[in-house]
Amino acid sequence: MGVLAALIIKDIRQLVRDPKTMFMVLLMPILVMAMFVAGYGGSGGGEVPIAIVDLDGGKVSWQLIDSLRNFGDFEVKYYPATPEEGEMLVRHGDVYATLIIPKGFSKDVLLGRRTTVDLVLDSSYAHISELVWEALNAAVQGFQEKVSESYGTFSIKVNRRTVYGPQVTRVENFVPVVMGILLHLVPMSLIAVSISRERERRTFEQLVVTPINSWDIVISKLLAYAFITISDMILTLWISVEFFNVKVKGSFFDLLFVSGLMLLCSLSIGLLISVMSKNQLQAYQMAIFFFIPSMLFTGFFTPVELLSKEVRIVGKLLPLYYFLRTFRNIQLRGWTLLESLHEVSVLFFETLLFLLLSIKLLKLRVE
Amino acid sequence: MNYVIEAIDLTKYFGSFKAVDGINISVQEGEIFGLLGPNGAGKTTTIRMILGLLKPSAGSIKVFGIDVSRNRKAVLKITGYMPQRFSLYEDLTTEENLKLFASLYGLSGRKVDERVSELLEEFQLKEFRYRLAGKLSGGTKQRLALAVALVHEPRLLIVDEPTAGVDPPIRRYFWEYFRKLRKDGVTMLVTTHYMDEAENCDRLALMNRGRIVASGSPSSIKKLAYGGDIVELHTERKALVYLRSFDGVKKILEEESSNGSLKVKILVDDASDRLVPLVKTLEDNGIKVYRARQVFVSLEDAFIKLTVGG
Repeated sequence: MGVLAALIIKDIRQLVRDPKTMFMVLLMPILVMAMFVAGYGGSGGGEVPIAIVDLDGGKVSWQLIDSLRNFGDFEVKYYPATPEEGEMLVRHGDVYATLIIPKGFSKDVLLGRRTTVDLVLDSSYAHISELVWEALNAAVQGFQEKVSESYGTFSIKVNRRTVYGPQVTRVENFVPVVMGILLHLVPMSLIAVSISRERERRTFEQLVVTPINSWDIVISKLLAYAFITISDMILTLWISVEFFNVKVKGSFFDLLFVSGLMLLCSLSIGLLISVMSKNQLQAYQMAIFFFIPSMLFTGFFTPVELLSKEVRIVGKLLPLYYFLRTFRNIQLRGWTLLESLHEVSVLFFETLLFLLLSIKLLKLRVE
Repeated sequence: MNYVIEAIDLTKYFGSFKAVDGINISVQEGEIFGLLGPNGAGKTTTIRMILGLLKPSAGSIKVFGIDVSRNRKAVLKITGYMPQRFSLYEDLTTEENLKLFASLYGLSGRKVDERVSELLEEFQLKEFRYRLAGKLSGGTKQRLALAVALVHEPRLLIVDEPTAGVDPPIRRYFWEYFRKLRKDGVTMLVTTHYMDEAENCDRLALMNRGRIVASGSPSSIKKLAYGGDIVELHTERKALVYLRSFDGVKKILEEESSNGSLKVKILVDDASDRLVPLVKTLEDNGIKVYRARQVFVSLEDAFIKLTVGG
């Protein structure tokens, strides 16, 4: 144990004394989070083109259209005559949404009856259609409050309907993605260069003329780097909850557990890369090369179920797939670890496999 | 005879390049054994194979009778190694480096602290104990490297070019320290390309292009290079007749005569045996000898003679 402890302390000291490493570890969560918020989380700068089909043609429907036009987030580009035409505009990508005001809308409002409007959304652009949905709801709400003074109480319900795929996600959805990037890329690329750096600085030669085993090196690096990069994980979760009011439906402990497991898995992949690469450059390239399919095929952007069959097989080999599923299920669906037992055990065994391979392949030589 | 290091038919290929070509080395207990040769001769490769850092393409190595390919760890426990270039952690302090390696060699608890403060004292590193190793001067780095190599009190110390690019005072310090270690019973294998330094070794192996060209004590290597010792005489011209027939004279290498006087360099089988009788014989025959001495041959001359001159 003395050997292992000495090696762990040594690696932690080296990491802490390297400002570039600490910069990357501590700033990455904030930067990535900021990028996602800036890109996907905010209210958006431009006006989203929409279409409105006015089947009613009455006084109140005109007032609604007017208030939508002045709402600021949309630009009403088309006024198609039929719902079919309106939907075609969405399908062709001319607009992101079409609002259909039904016949008899004005009459219902004037009589104080419940009424509905239909919204056709383009869910292939998930975030925009989400935005339109929220904004339209707000606009209709505002209209309702304002107009109810003159017409008395009534209610308008917005029915949503989507084209292209199932109902889309919430903004909170990018938290698993941010966690995935941070827990995968940062620890993996950090540890991937650890052994080749020792080789390049020649410290490896002095290290391996001592009577240590290859598992001493692998396990001590794993634990030292886990100690440092766990801050990424905690920082990201904390930022999400504290600043972006992300709600976790399941248990927070479960979320920490699966994140910690993903961290160890990424580190063991990084170690394997480190063992196999000849120099630091090669290690970085291998880490990035491994990250790209993880980004594309594991449900980062598109659900795995929508990918081609061949790619789905690749995706299901990658640990990030299991992490994203578990994380989403805990965060958004409120599942427990027990319900994610399959995913968690795959993650665990992959971690073990990568570690054993690293130990096996690490030669205590300088060739 | 039990050897500390016994390498038999050691060969190493890098691709198709033969870095070490079937060499045999046997190092005896308690001696300083030098591996001498120019850069690229295969010295470092040989050392790395002895330490198990490289896998030999052919041949076998035993250290203290232990087969390195079978039980490398047992060998490493009693062997210290100082690589050619500084290989300690530059982002750790002097003390942290020493403590790390003490722990890696299996020292524990109080023993680590004791040994480390001993070494800090011994190698005059006390004032640098909290300084990062990367910020030490060249000579101090070398002292630290040697201290680390000795942290577990090894019975065999392998040192690769300890004095390359180091100031003369530190070179002297190192050789003095090596002699002290030898007195303490530590066996040493030292590589160098400084021929003058190699005179400090008890025995040598001269390496060139992956092969051992000659081995033995420094004086026996020189003798081997020329086929004997060289003696220089300043005498009378008529001495030439006697010199040609004298017992033990192998060859007259150079002669230069003017006005009846003669300066000559001759090769004899053994200078210490032959020089005094030779002078006596000449004088007995009425020939004046103005000067007689053995010519000092440097290892460098011998090396060049062995590798180039043939």
